[in-house]
Amino acid sequence: MSEFLQYLITGLGVGCAFALIGSGLVVIYRVTRVVNFAQGAFAVIAAMTVSSLLGSGVPHGLAEALAVALAGLVGLLVGLTAIGKPGTSPQSALIVTLGAAVFAYAVEILIWGDQPRSFPGLPASVTVLGARVQSHYLLIIAASALVFLAMALLFARTDLGKALTAAAANPYAARIVGIDVRRMGLLSFVIGGALGGLAGVLVTPVQQVTFDGDVVLVVSGFAAAILGDLTRPAATLLGGLLLGVAQAMVAGYLSTSYQSEVALVLMLVVLIAQAARRPMIQEEPA
Amino acid sequence: MTRPRPGTLLTAAATLALPLLLRDDHLTLYVLLGLSAMVTIGLSMLMGYAGQVSLGQASFYALGGYAAGLIGVHGGPTLLGLLAAPAVAAAVALVVGVPILRLRGHQLAFATLALQLILLSLLSDATWAGGAIGLQGIPHLSIAGVELDRDIDYAYLTWAGVAVTMVVAHNLMSSRTGRGLRALATSETAAAAGGVPVGRYRLLVFAVSAAFAGLAGGVYAYFVGYLAPGSFPVLLSVQFVVMAVVGGLGTIWGGLFGAAAVTLLVQFLTDFGTRPGMPSYAPGVLSYAVYAVLLVLVVLFLPQGLVPAVRKRWPWPRLVPTRR
Repeated sequence: MSEFLQYLITGLGVGCAFALIGSGLVVIYRVTRVVNFAQGAFAVIAAMTVSSLLGSGVPHGLAEALAVALAGLVGLLVGLTAIGKPGTSPQSALIVTLGAAVFAYAVEILIWGDQPRSFPGLPASVTVLGARVQSHYLLIIAASALVFLAMALLFARTDLGKALTAAAANPYAARIVGIDVRRMGLLSFVIGGALGGLAGVLVTPVQQVTFDGDVVLVVSGFAAAILGDLTRPAATLLGGLLLGVAQAMVAGYLSTSYQSEVALVLMLVVLIAQAARRPMIQEEPA
Repeated sequence: MTRPRPGTLLTAAATLALPLLLRDDHLTLYVLLGLSAMVTIGLSMLMGYAGQVSLGQASFYALGGYAAGLIGVHGGPTLLGLLAAPAVAAAVALVVGVPILRLRGHQLAFATLALQLILLSLLSDATWAGGAIGLQGIPHLSIAGVELDRDIDYAYLTWAGVAVTMVVAHNLMSSRTGRGLRALATSETAAAAGGVPVGRYRLLVFAVSAAFAGLAGGVYAYFVGYLAPGSFPVLLSVQFVVMAVVGGLGTIWGGLFGAAAVTLLVQFLTDFGTRPGMPSYAPGVLSYAVYAVLLVLVVLFLPQGLVPAVRKRWPWPRLVPTRR
């Protein structure tokens, strides 16, 4: 029983990171219709930044905050290249973000080298209902809960959030009432960057990060987000948690070598099931 | 059958003469360039005509390589291995293509990426295929008792492979199927209304592009003699996308020139990066940066790609004026 609980909590912790990356994808996709392939790179850059900052004596907390802010800035840069040029189709923008992700490799190797990196998180471990878990997992869960709550408030209660939602729902109508859709798109990239960065910062103490680890991260985030059709943050949270727990259970009870396939196979099944409900011929945009 | 243009004949003759003049290390580059071109031509058709992004084209390259390699290692006739390579890749494409080709745009991109990650993970666990260490001691290709063991042999084998790929692609595109595919690329609804079996044609292009990649993988296996899951990273798939986009999607020559341009540029920068005095990470950083910058610039500012843009300015002369 305590074993089960241990897997459950570690799974929820890792799942929160997937959900954060996935919700970054959702925020960007809702507003811009662009699937941001560089979403995993935000996490890697933020994690590497924290390890450097901590190494040069910046205290915990400040280092993490700076890294998340930097990831938001990187998000802005990616957004500017992806949607900055008018008339870029979402399909082209996907390929541009793919280019941005590869460019991030060059920058990361240049600054941090190609070896895996990590940094310490919360040191101790605690006993929850008889299961010993690293307390850092609880920190991940708490921080993610706060962030998701703040996001829900942002989208439901503020003008800015409503403007973002409006730009997502109907860009044409949003423009008519005076919302700068392009600026909203860039803002969504900043939020997406910060969310990706936060995921990287939170999860790195329990999972090492390498420069090319972004592929697994973005695929896991996409797998979480696809459950909500890339548009619903709540479903993304659920998808991420489900994925994290499923991976932890598979790794714990079966074998760690099947761990990565869980997300991939689940994603394929969901994608194909969703596609089966759509007609074969693609509707053309009006 | 249209008569070949002078440019085609000239390119064919020049590339045929080239291996005789090249040093050994340049011959290796020649072979690898040709293999990339074979994969890219297929991917370019898939992306240009079926309008689909595949981020897993390297998985078909890997499948072809492993099919040829396994047959070779177990003492089977290597020519059979070379033929099995495209067949296995195409068969797998047909099987996985039925469910996943219903997906569109970013969904297909992620699905093909996921399939490649699954394949790589399966290959690293498969002890019968050498596992993560890889498949070693693959023999050279021998055709009718003649063993191809020099680099120049593989240069000509690759040249033939590229030629076959281009002819097949050209004939496919100028056939009834090709016209259907071009209709499909502009409007699926209109094509379907006009009687084009959209799903079946898309599957056909997927399988043909997989066969090209598989054939390239087969040649690669016999040329290098060693395969591992690490030889086919996700970045290799990205590299094929870069080559296809740079050359120009949906054009056969674009596949060839895109592969040539990117390979030569990256090789030039690698030579530059491995000069004494350069840091050890320089080649990696430079090649990643080149892929990224090329991809972004071409998508944003030259969306048709290099070859169509050049052709628009300087149309190729034709021996026989054709009516359009």
